[in-house]
Amino acid sequence: METQDTAVKPPRPDATKSTTLPQPGRPVPSRAYPGALIVVEGTDGSGKSTQLYLLKRWLEIGGYRLHFTEWNSSPLVKSATRRGKQKRLLTPTTFSLLHAADFADRCERQIMPLLQGDYLVLADRYIYTAFARDAARGCSHRWLRNLYRFAPIPDITFYFRAPLDVAVNRILSGRPKLKYYEAGMDLGLSYERPESFKLFQARILEEYDKMVDTDNFVVLDGTLPVNKLQKQMRDIVASKIDLKRFAPRALEAE
Amino acid sequence: MPDQEREKAVAPTEMPSKPPAVAGTEAEGNQIFFGESLVGLDSTELNGNLIVIEGMDGSGRSTQIALLQEWLESEGFAVQTSGLRRSNLVGRDIDELLAKNAVTRLTLALMYATDFFDQLEHRIIPALRSGAVVLADRYIFTLIARGVVRGINRDYMTGLYAMALRPDLTFWLNVRPETAFGREFKKAQAISYWEAGRDMSLSHDLYWSFVRYQTMIKREFEVMAKLSGLIELDGEASVSVVNKQLRQRIGEQLAIRSSKYTPSAALAHLWR
Repeated sequence: METQDTAVKPPRPDATKSTTLPQPGRPVPSRAYPGALIVVEGTDGSGKSTQLYLLKRWLEIGGYRLHFTEWNSSPLVKSATRRGKQKRLLTPTTFSLLHAADFADRCERQIMPLLQGDYLVLADRYIYTAFARDAARGCSHRWLRNLYRFAPIPDITFYFRAPLDVAVNRILSGRPKLKYYEAGMDLGLSYERPESFKLFQARILEEYDKMVDTDNFVVLDGTLPVNKLQKQMRDIVASKIDLKRFAPRALEAE
Repeated sequence: MPDQEREKAVAPTEMPSKPPAVAGTEAEGNQIFFGESLVGLDSTELNGNLIVIEGMDGSGRSTQIALLQEWLESEGFAVQTSGLRRSNLVGRDIDELLAKNAVTRLTLALMYATDFFDQLEHRIIPALRSGAVVLADRYIFTLIARGVVRGINRDYMTGLYAMALRPDLTFWLNVRPETAFGREFKKAQAISYWEAGRDMSLSHDLYWSFVRYQTMIKREFEVMAKLSGLIELDGEASVSVVNKQLRQRIGEQLAIRSSKYTPSAALAHLWR
């Protein structure tokens, strides 16, 4: 992991901002770094993780410089999240802040340095997960947008859309018991966890749908066969991102 | 003391009047919060008073809060206190992060925000609902100042705390960093890494690092004092003088007639 300051390449001529280093609380101009960021989003059970895994395998096998990052994966706030969940201390606000702290850690110590170091970064869930889920819990959109203002804007955001029933059934059939917060029990939508989960997921889906246009989501049909979906994904990545820059050969050419 | 008892003990006769134009953010309309409403809060039930004491390390906040608590309790008010890193949710986690000193500024700012809102929702608001007086040992102003001096955008920091309750009174104990240094050093015979702002690489010299860091914080307070109507008190004055000024303003707020107070034997050592 590169935690030390990486030398930042000067912004390309089309960069409008003079800032070269990211500043917390300021939107990161997308051309302030040479790397590229690909994100997958979607409700639980939409198939996004499988698809990102296959995309990652494709790129790895091709020898591209890449790094994979997951939502909620840093050890930093794990104990707090666990405690908060076990004792049910979390409110919509503190739930949101704790995940933001976790993301900030990953952003400042992994994602930004890697983008500055000219890597292709693949993210399984990104800030849109927080926008959808926390808004579904009642947090204000304006507050949430401000909270994550420091996050670099992805080059591609794939949104795997699956009808509510399909997604919910995929989760319910594979899992014996839903967890309290996962099922959105803190919202008091229903006493029954599966029913609460369904209502919560419906709200999340609604929030995701609102972001399709505002956040330039590339919408993919999560009900398609896995290999067909993967082909679409690879085609889009190849057309939108200059993959040659991340190939080992590109390094030698410099 | 159980909450029911507290409620009886306090029974405030009138709703506190919120100070006008206490604005830390662009939103002016909301009188109870700084900008946005807290999710799921019925704010009509908040009968208590929120009194905030702000000031840098060594400004005398904790001493004053101990004395105020005793005074208010002797006047029959139930008191709840709050302060940084005291939440059940992340208080200890922040302690650990600080000890390890391996955390970036933004993450730390967000962990402090989590700590703040956990206390607001689980400690401050329930106390206000039961009619208690909440004495907050620091509030959002310190947290905003710390973020801003570390280069985090000011709007970002104020936006983060848009759902903080507006205090009924906010005092700022203003002292010179040089004075604060002496007081802090006396307490522990040392100055901590974070008090001196060592993470900011201001100086290798501990004293100068402390003074420069606290001066930056102080400048932020000067800005916020104007914007948010903080009541500035001279923290260089003696404990009893500062305490008298605090009791005067708080007494007006809570309609306490007599202003007499002498600390009990337990707190007499603080009185100088």
